[in-house]
Amino acid sequence: MTKKQNKIQPILEIKNLKLNFHTYMGEVKALNGVDLKLYPEEVLAIVGESGCGKSVTALAITGLLPENAYIIEGEILFKGEDLLKKSKEEMRKFRMTECAIVFQDPATYLNPVLKMETQLKEVILLHKEALKKAVIAEEEGKRIGYEEFLAMKTIKDNQTKNYKVSRKKIDKMAEKLIIDILKLVKLPDPERILKSYPHELSGGMKQRAMIAMALARRPSMFLADEITTALDVTIQAQILYLLKELRKKIATSTLMITHDLSVAAEIADRIAIMYGGNVVEVASTRTIFREPLHPYTQLLLRAIPNILNPTERLESIPGTVPEMINPPPGCRFNPRCPFAMDVCVTKKPELKEVKKGHEVACHLCW
Amino acid sequence: MSQQVKARKGEWEARLADIKYSLYLLRKNPLVIAGTVIAAFFIILALLANVIVDPKLAYPEGYPGGMYPFERKYVWNANHFLQWGPGVALYKGPEFFPLGTDSYGRDLLKMIILAIPVDLYFATIITITAAALGTFIGAVAGYAGGIVDEIVLRITDVFFAFPALVLALVFASILGRSLETLALAIVLVWWPPYTRLMRGQVLSEKEKPYVEALKALGASNLRILFRHIIPNAIFPILVQATMDFGGVILTFSALMFLGFSPSPAIPELGNLAADGYGHIFDAPWVILFPGLTMLIISLAFNLVGDGLRDVLDPRLRR
Amino acid sequence: MKLHATYAGNRVSNEELLKVKDLKVWFPIKSGVIQRTIGHVKAVDGVTFNVLKGETLGIVGESGSGKTTMGKSILRLVKPISGEIYFEGINIIKASRSEMKKVRRRVQMIFQDPYASLDPRQTVSSILYEAMKIHGVVKSKAEAMEKAVQLLETVGLSEEHLYRFPHEFSGGQRQRIGIARALAVNPTFLVLDEPTSFLDVSVQASVLNLLKDLQRQFGLTYLFITHNLAVVHHMSNRVAVMYLGKIVEIADKDDIYHDPKHPYTFQLMEAIPLPDPDVKKERVLLEGDVPSPINIPPGCRFHPRCKYATQKCRREEPQLMARNGCLVACHYEIDFSAGKIVGEAAA
Repeated sequence: MTKKQNKIQPILEIKNLKLNFHTYMGEVKALNGVDLKLYPEEVLAIVGESGCGKSVTALAITGLLPENAYIIEGEILFKGEDLLKKSKEEMRKFRMTECAIVFQDPATYLNPVLKMETQLKEVILLHKEALKKAVIAEEEGKRIGYEEFLAMKTIKDNQTKNYKVSRKKIDKMAEKLIIDILKLVKLPDPERILKSYPHELSGGMKQRAMIAMALARRPSMFLADEITTALDVTIQAQILYLLKELRKKIATSTLMITHDLSVAAEIADRIAIMYGGNVVEVASTRTIFREPLHPYTQLLLRAIPNILNPTERLESIPGTVPEMINPPPGCRFNPRCPFAMDVCVTKKPELKEVKKGHEVACHLCW
Repeated sequence: MSQQVKARKGEWEARLADIKYSLYLLRKNPLVIAGTVIAAFFIILALLANVIVDPKLAYPEGYPGGMYPFERKYVWNANHFLQWGPGVALYKGPEFFPLGTDSYGRDLLKMIILAIPVDLYFATIITITAAALGTFIGAVAGYAGGIVDEIVLRITDVFFAFPALVLALVFASILGRSLETLALAIVLVWWPPYTRLMRGQVLSEKEKPYVEALKALGASNLRILFRHIIPNAIFPILVQATMDFGGVILTFSALMFLGFSPSPAIPELGNLAADGYGHIFDAPWVILFPGLTMLIISLAFNLVGDGLRDVLDPRLRR
Repeated sequence: MKLHATYAGNRVSNEELLKVKDLKVWFPIKSGVIQRTIGHVKAVDGVTFNVLKGETLGIVGESGSGKTTMGKSILRLVKPISGEIYFEGINIIKASRSEMKKVRRRVQMIFQDPYASLDPRQTVSSILYEAMKIHGVVKSKAEAMEKAVQLLETVGLSEEHLYRFPHEFSGGQRQRIGIARALAVNPTFLVLDEPTSFLDVSVQASVLNLLKDLQRQFGLTYLFITHNLAVVHHMSNRVAVMYLGKIVEIADKDDIYHDPKHPYTFQLMEAIPLPDPDVKKERVLLEGDVPSPINIPPGCRFHPRCKYATQKCRREEPQLMARNGCLVACHYEIDFSAGKIVGEAAA
């Protein structure tokens, strides 16, 4: 995997992203130079505690930042194009076709007065052209399921432009594809689910429906912002298993945001640890657990109660998460770091590659 | 938070800091500032009114006595910028009335200045009484629930079935014709909205975890209701009361206008306006300026209330 | 029961502090114009267990299991429909108001949401003073303030925090204030309802350490309710697993994790994500959704999702019985690694 990474270009690259929020109390310096790379077809987990900026990063990527946010510097390159320079309309198209995001609480993201079928169809009907092609292909005798629909995305075909397809047929195709997708996310009895309202479904089912809505867009990138945090442990296990299965079928690059290192251990290829608006360490999952280099990562690992290796006391990190209006100078972790040196207060460490595939932002590691 | 440690000496200092924060937020809103300035202007005017203008001017010679102590004589305005229709006779006297006079020859501007404290005073009393009464009943109903709640709800339903003004008229005609009884009539009409509002607030506060925590601690229901729930739920009531201020002035004036005033000489905005009712086209200033004053006062308090609502919205604050 | 004196760090005696017998908490479902009761949400449906003085009993379960409701009923925040709860010999359910007030002094609760369980308009000093005043713990305000400072220092805060409002604190600090409030009345028993669910990992670690220290320092007994299996393993001596309003298994914490007897317990343990990427299991996942306590399946509540369900499971509800030092509610003995039933539970 690491050898390939040297040659493959990342599908998403965030370079030195700095972002502030205007608030009544002052400027909240939420992101302080985030560097991140997401390679095609991999699962990268962003792990951090509250206030570290992981959700803000997700919002910045998808262009869903609130009004009072402003970018100071940096770029977010998706397939080479800077997302920050795109207009609102372009970002909307981006969210429609290239990038899908699923959030934490499905109940608040589904419209309670619309049936599930209305909401799911709404998403897939955005791709009218592709649906048209699918109907035509079906009429020619090909069997069109979701996987075929996915493959059609990459085929550029202008022959069908003048061919008229009735709205009814498009609708039917959309419905068929939706049922296919629901089966793919292992929702039992998809027809009944389509006719239900969101409050009639359980949390796990709603989350699967949200994942279905995300997949319906055939995205190249999938962002999951704490999607299992609100779920019970057995349901969380099911969703993680589902994501692993889907990975094999639908090769999207996934950015999984979570505060739970164990969840990241389950599903991620690489893990990026964030603290105080920076990425402080990035490595493969195994490396993060076996050879963590950043002091924060090391302390974080020792703060998790581990059933396999129980201890009497958990190691807690002294101090509190930095307050972002007046963050500590230099490295934002320095007030709490047991190894803090003088240089840590004056100079912010850059994220550098220390070993192959292992990047750390710490003065200790150079 | 730990980086901004600045020890506070006591409870009051903490509360003061809280109030300072509210004022800070208020300052940011231009509408609130405008409203506050205007409202403050009127309040100061009200306080100084009896000093600026001699109150005896309201009751020209011949008055204490009957209901209609003086003759009606219309005096036209000497201000030649205001020319009204045909049949105008200019007063050729020495005085200049900036806003004209009313049908009794009193200077309208002076009358309005005298009227403002009357209106503001009664509006304050009515609003505070209605709000206090409604809040108390609503809080108890919301917290107790069950049959108490049902009874209170049905009573408020009855009150809501009638238009406020009509009901106030009914009460006023029962209670009699003095300013105080009019105020009472309006209070009787104005308390149900506060009850409903407070009840709703209490119902939602009741379910919050801190109430449960207090119960677990062993706090009595009385303590929970009066020391915890009501202070937390009171903000919408304050906002509503501020915004209602204007409405109360209008209602009070309306009642005076409609003929419930004990005497036509009393300086009160509605009373003054009633005077000019029959002469809207030939002497429009009599009804116009008192009305305009009511409008401006209403608007000012409305703006203050609106701004308060934005500031006190808990989602924006904490 | 075995004594776990040193591993979890606390000393457990043999004396029973809390005894719960066949507790049922049902919430009526009302419908229609006249609000007829058409059914019940059987949140807690017959729960029996005891807690020994000095121990930490962990209660785990998913949503719908009834664990939070059960915790609340011990504090009499919800009214059970039947059953008995004995605390130091007093039946909490039937106690009078004054008796209950005495009980409330000895039993306190730590709540889940540190943001919402404090009155936002009270300063810390007011919160602590009120707690002391309600139970007459101190005689004067000065004494109360002194004690308040001591309490704050015990939980890791300091005097300068006395005159601040809850919204000026972080989540972990608010939770500490909640703990200080509970300790202000000198309790012996604490019910902790998901005390760290809303906290970050590092903060959770310090709060859990604090709770353990307090237990040792004051000889407290804990009922620790949570859905986080790793946390409950760290904190408890014994663990009770709840499913749909009933306890399905009570055992020592190591037995629960390494040798579960009930199929649901086994599935729960299988589902925990482990902080170790090398331990990759071939997981056998639990299918279906967590059920609702409105329509409870007949017989054994778990049978619709259980791989080993038999006819007997569909008809007869199993009772909690002793087996190899644990209490299990299942008709059969199952070998999970082999995946089959190996025996029937003795009636």
